[in-house]
Amino acid sequence: MSYELLIFAPIALSLLIYMPTRNVGGTKYVALALFVYMFIKTIELYKQLPEHGYMLLGKFLEVKAFDFVLTLQVDRLSVIMLLLTSVLLILVTLSSWSLTKKPAAYFSLLIFFSGAIFGMFMSTNFIWFFIFWELTLIPMLFLVGIWGAEGRIYAAVKFFLYTHVASMLILLAFFLIYKQSGTFDMTLVKEAMLTTPALIWWLMFIGFAVKMPLFPFHTWLPDAHVQAPAPVSALLAGVLLKMGAYAMMRMVILLLPAQAEKFAWIFVVLGLLTLLYAGFMALYETHIKKMVAYSSISHMGLIAIAMGAMSYDSLSAALFEMIGHALIISPLFLIAGFLHQKMHTWEMGDMGGIMQKAPYLSAIFVLAGLGALGLPGTMGFIGEITILISAIESFGSWMVVILLGSLISAAYLIWTFRRVIYGEMSEGVKNGNFSMNRVEFFALLVFAFFIILFGVYPQTLFSEINQAFSVYFTGAAL
Amino acid sequence: MNVGLLLILPFTGAIATFLAGKLNQKYAFYLAELIGFTLFGLVLSIFFSYERPINITIEWFSFGNTTLPFGVYIDHLSLVMLLIATGLGALDIHFSHDYMKDDPDKPRYYAKILFFIGGMILLVTAKELIGLFVGWEFMGLASYLLISFWHQTKDPADAGVAAFLYTKFGDIFLFAALGILYYYTHTLDLQYINLLATWHQIPDNVSFVIAIFIFIAAIGKSGQFPLFPWLMRAMEGPTTVSALIHGATMVNSGIYIVARMFDFYVAAEALVVVAAVASLSAFIGATSALVQNEIKKVLAYSTMSHLSLAFIGLGVGSLSAGMTHLTNHAVFKALLFLGAGAVIMAAHHNKDLFKLGGAWKKLTLVGLFMGIGALSLSGIPPFSGFYSKDAIIAKSILNPQTYGLISTLTVIAGVLSVAYVFRIWLLIFAGKPRDAELHEHIKTPSKFWISLPLGVMALVTFVLGFYQKELSEYITGKELREAHVDYLLPLLLSAIILVGFIVYKFYKSRPDARDKLAAQPLMKSFHKVLLNGYFVERMITWFVKNVVINSVSKTINWIDIHIIDGAVNGMLNLSQKIFTLFNTTHSSKVSNQAGVMILGVLSILVVIFIGSLV
Repeated sequence: MSYELLIFAPIALSLLIYMPTRNVGGTKYVALALFVYMFIKTIELYKQLPEHGYMLLGKFLEVKAFDFVLTLQVDRLSVIMLLLTSVLLILVTLSSWSLTKKPAAYFSLLIFFSGAIFGMFMSTNFIWFFIFWELTLIPMLFLVGIWGAEGRIYAAVKFFLYTHVASMLILLAFFLIYKQSGTFDMTLVKEAMLTTPALIWWLMFIGFAVKMPLFPFHTWLPDAHVQAPAPVSALLAGVLLKMGAYAMMRMVILLLPAQAEKFAWIFVVLGLLTLLYAGFMALYETHIKKMVAYSSISHMGLIAIAMGAMSYDSLSAALFEMIGHALIISPLFLIAGFLHQKMHTWEMGDMGGIMQKAPYLSAIFVLAGLGALGLPGTMGFIGEITILISAIESFGSWMVVILLGSLISAAYLIWTFRRVIYGEMSEGVKNGNFSMNRVEFFALLVFAFFIILFGVYPQTLFSEINQAFSVYFTGAAL
Repeated sequence: MNVGLLLILPFTGAIATFLAGKLNQKYAFYLAELIGFTLFGLVLSIFFSYERPINITIEWFSFGNTTLPFGVYIDHLSLVMLLIATGLGALDIHFSHDYMKDDPDKPRYYAKILFFIGGMILLVTAKELIGLFVGWEFMGLASYLLISFWHQTKDPADAGVAAFLYTKFGDIFLFAALGILYYYTHTLDLQYINLLATWHQIPDNVSFVIAIFIFIAAIGKSGQFPLFPWLMRAMEGPTTVSALIHGATMVNSGIYIVARMFDFYVAAEALVVVAAVASLSAFIGATSALVQNEIKKVLAYSTMSHLSLAFIGLGVGSLSAGMTHLTNHAVFKALLFLGAGAVIMAAHHNKDLFKLGGAWKKLTLVGLFMGIGALSLSGIPPFSGFYSKDAIIAKSILNPQTYGLISTLTVIAGVLSVAYVFRIWLLIFAGKPRDAELHEHIKTPSKFWISLPLGVMALVTFVLGFYQKELSEYITGKELREAHVDYLLPLLLSAIILVGFIVYKFYKSRPDARDKLAAQPLMKSFHKVLLNGYFVERMITWFVKNVVINSVSKTINWIDIHIIDGAVNGMLNLSQKIFTLFNTTHSSKVSNQAGVMILGVLSILVVIFIGSLV
């Protein structure tokens, strides 16, 4: 099969499926089947990959006058991201199983999103990359704006505008690259071709830093995450932020290594600021979903530091932490959203004693929280220790300050457990009914399984991750 | 084979126990007991077949060019800790049968207990610092889960938070030490690190900092000043858990790591810091233990004080004194805690010492065994506690580096232990019942489930007293050179007897003396300071609440809302205003949205235009 269908089939399907299933229902089955299929196809793709470098999947829509061809090329890094994305899409679909408000539109948008995001990870033409990059915003805008909570319109618009304005910087950078190198193909551009690499670097860095997000460009995220329905929050944290991190890795670091080396300090400074600043924000927060959102931002700071360290070790660590972050933060969002749905409050002070009502749900919340605070046995710990060791290797012993972030995260998470899970039951909890849809609970179990599996046997993941970066550092195929 | 099973069984067993318990509550206990004694059997089989240190390493994972190993190293020191952890752990599970009889959450309880023991096994068998850290964190988690076992009520839930965060504060220093050590040595193998330090292959100031960092972590886990308050709060958990934390597992880990890295500490010249901090803790613990009203709190402060003694032993350069005291303490403290548990259970979960009294007739066996534990704790020959305590005091006096103050505090702490332990023993068992109704309802505990484990521990405490020399030689692998201070033995003995006599008089024959003494204003404030553990917890809580949360976090929150997000919202409003200038007829939200989208498209065009110009 040709793999371009992974992009165009979902986009076409999303438009086709909406009308017939709007009244009949069953869009979710189509979505689930499609995502499972995409996952299987991605695994198949992964197995075909060459040891190093890119594999060309095809060139489409060629325009003679302009370097506008849709070039689909993948390497290990992008296929790992595709795998993560398709797993998350499956889990997000399962987590939305009991959705009652306009399900046909909701799942159609998810399907559309899947096509766009696959396109983004697969295309190596800057313009097409940009088009898919922006296309992902449209389903997200509607998913937040229609299915969100009380302040969804404000959040959706803010999210859209903020990331959109940032995209302008990225687009400008792409044009500059074209102007100077004469190609839109990111696999052909070399840093040496560029006359103003510093300017390009900064434009892309800021553009992607908004998406990641890094301090001080993070304020769209808490609003969007809080207002979005829980599965979409998980998608935002698991896929959308990873788009930023992936692009940062691919274009800001691997494409412009000399500039990145020069400006590595900015990664460290902003990463540390993000880590601690968002940590303190989470510590002060009483709104459960905002707390999770800040925790999510805080971890992205850790990833930024690892990227800034720019070694083979540290990039592997960063990619591991990216996957870990997606798998750890998503269940926290899902459970926070579930609690809001059942109790109609966001305030942690109004919760308490949920363990007595829903012990297994609480256990998964605690497990994911422990992952977020980096307890051994979970993915969080592996991410933390690898980032610590590689950051110290690159910047010296003072990098142990990142452990302050770990302490702060322990403080707010343990305090959250105390307020939400443990203690006496609040009135709302006493009267609440916390029975969860079985399919949605199954999705949470899958998250929990991965958090522990990769926490105990990280090598299963690292053997793939290491290979994704070995080409850049062992000089095999540069 | 045995080693692998030893490492895996507690964790798989915990899951199996939980699942079995879900089928039938009773299965949880029997499976847990089976696993507990199997673990002890495995350790015994390793103990008897021991020839040379067991040394296994596998690759855990590699990221980039770095490979982190996971290894097992079992030598005499590990074996002693393993015997303590699994032996006392198994007895603790046995004791739990009656103690947790009425609890509906048995599957969860036994699963957590096994996980706890598993964490300790992992910790003491780790070859590398990373494996040790994994065990270290598992213990932190297990203690958190077990202390807040009765999570439905406020106090245990709060106590769990305290336990996790106090120890976590220390843990990040261990984590930092791990990172720095790896940077300088490119290994995490503890034996190798010890060697490197001895050869001075690590820069001196670096190894000193690492030693201090690791000691801060040990302070957190072993409840030393100033990170001890969690140890007292932890009394909210089930008493069996307290026995496990204070005797078999958790608190020993801080001392274990200093002992494991003893050569490193010697080379880094950091031992004097250990001794200094520990002597202060010993004093604080011993004095605070004197006035506590709850039976478990007295024991908690006494744990703190006795762990300090073990630290002092290490700190003044005697590995054997420190470790034998740790071993002795583990046994008699588990005995005392389980005894206290038996008393509390018999007295219908009443922990207040001043409501008990005259229980000897009803709880004879418990009283007898606790008496043996108390004698050992207070350091009366021939019980085990005497020899190690005597050795520590002698070493601290003989050590030229410890400047008198440390040895003075050590002696005070050592002698005061007689006072507090006999205070509780007398208050529980001697005299007349203070609360007739409560006394009426005291029921004699079961011989098999309660008295038997106590009796075993009492026997071990007694027998250990005769094998102190062998024990210390077994641990250090060197012949014990007795430290002698000629006047010490008679002086110490007479001090102990004197203090014991005063306490006896005070609590036995003059029950009103306490009230008279307490009425004096100076005594009152002094009493208050001791009762609250020198207000350390209040100071730390004040700092966290007012500085960390209400100053730093609050300010950052303000900045985020008003400056950083404020700027974003300002720009958003501005662009909306600009748009409404163009379109004044519709001002609904939808049109605003459409407007900003058009604005976005316009900006794309502008960028393309600029792009083509450059």
